[in-house]
Amino acid sequence: MEVRFTLNGREVSCSLVGSELLLDVLRGPLGHRGTKEGCGKGECGACTVQVDGHPFNACLLPAAEVEGRAVTTIEGLAPAPGELSPEQQAFVEAGGIQCGFCTPGMIMASKALLDADPDPADADIRHALVGNLCRCTGYAQIIESVRRAAALRGEGS
Amino acid sequence: MHPLPYHRPTSLEAALELKASLPGARFIAGGTDVMVRLKGGAPRPSALISLRGIAELTRSEVAQSARLGAAASVADLLAIDALREGWPVLADAMNQMASPQIRSSATLGGNLCNAAPCADSAPALLVHGARVVLRGPQGERVLALEEFFAEPGVTRMGADELLMSIDVDPPEPGLQTTFLKKKRVAMDIAIASVAAGLVMNDGICTHVRFAAGSVAPVPMRLPATEAALCGHPPTDARIAEARRIAEEEVSPITDIRGGADYRRRIIGVYVERATRALAARFEGSE
Repeated sequence: MEVRFTLNGREVSCSLVGSELLLDVLRGPLGHRGTKEGCGKGECGACTVQVDGHPFNACLLPAAEVEGRAVTTIEGLAPAPGELSPEQQAFVEAGGIQCGFCTPGMIMASKALLDADPDPADADIRHALVGNLCRCTGYAQIIESVRRAAALRGEGS
Repeated sequence: MHPLPYHRPTSLEAALELKASLPGARFIAGGTDVMVRLKGGAPRPSALISLRGIAELTRSEVAQSARLGAAASVADLLAIDALREGWPVLADAMNQMASPQIRSSATLGGNLCNAAPCADSAPALLVHGARVVLRGPQGERVLALEEFFAEPGVTRMGADELLMSIDVDPPEPGLQTTFLKKKRVAMDIAIASVAAGLVMNDGICTHVRFAAGSVAPVPMRLPATEAALCGHPPTDARIAEARRIAEEEVSPITDIRGGADYRRRIIGVYVERATRALAARFEGSE
């Protein structure tokens, strides 16, 4: 079985035996290791990617389900090599990163929020990030990072 | 996890034929329970049959009444304005399910077929008298949601059947509803939950619905609690009586998330809180 989809704007395909998970396909044959595996059970959000704009846990999603759909991973955010997207820039500026392991998932979940709601209240940010665990920062800087991302995105538009 | 054969039919007939032709295969919708259990070492089915590509199962029709596709994702259902406006208690319960990532995958049908006592959508659907439409080789049948749950993790759906849709009638005129869920942190599953519906006319409760989660082997209606209030004004004494009955009507267990006595207390508190909050919405409107 062959699955074809758009990965960060590029058409890709991959052969599948069956129920291989999108996370394993991304990190394995497709060589995109920015998406992390944490708990593997849909609780920590380290594997968050966007599929047609919606946030998904790639660790629970069979790759066969993204046939014909558009998948965005952390590698797809930067507008050009050496540059950062507003969400990435905001996490750097506001200190939303320590060890960095949760960061790709945090940024992908934040981007999904901001795509749907460009100016979220703090309660909305918390609600949008309940599925993402960080064991370093204590979350305060992450909330600040999302606020900063909203501002940067506003400036850029 | 070692991959399993994975089939993705695009019609209901094809899905039922695959199920019949593949002994030991199981249906999978959003996969947020099935995948976690498989990774946890649950017995492996011979194959997985995905329901996500079947338009008949992912489509919903919402107008005066609602027919919700069993394989529609919770996020897709939450995006339907008419559903949020017409059945806000269901939207509220679905919006509290897990995380945005899980809601993108997880389906309403999966939440019910998983038959967990803590299924967040169940109390809200019970308050609205929802029915489930099942389809198997023998054709279609309809069950009240109350009759759908048999025991923890087990439904009354046959092995060769699948859940097509969840049907909900128009809300009773004037119905006010609320959903209260006790949890420790935002993403937790419920320690106890109550959904409530109330209609009042001339100061009398004329339609009362309570349903509770995580406090019995299956999500349950609380008919004795309802009867304690129905036909009466919601006086302090009546509410105290309803609260006492509710605490007796549930049969919780003690587990990692909470003690049985604690759960009983929560149900009593929630019955009182819900009744007072809903009754207050009728004040001044009559």
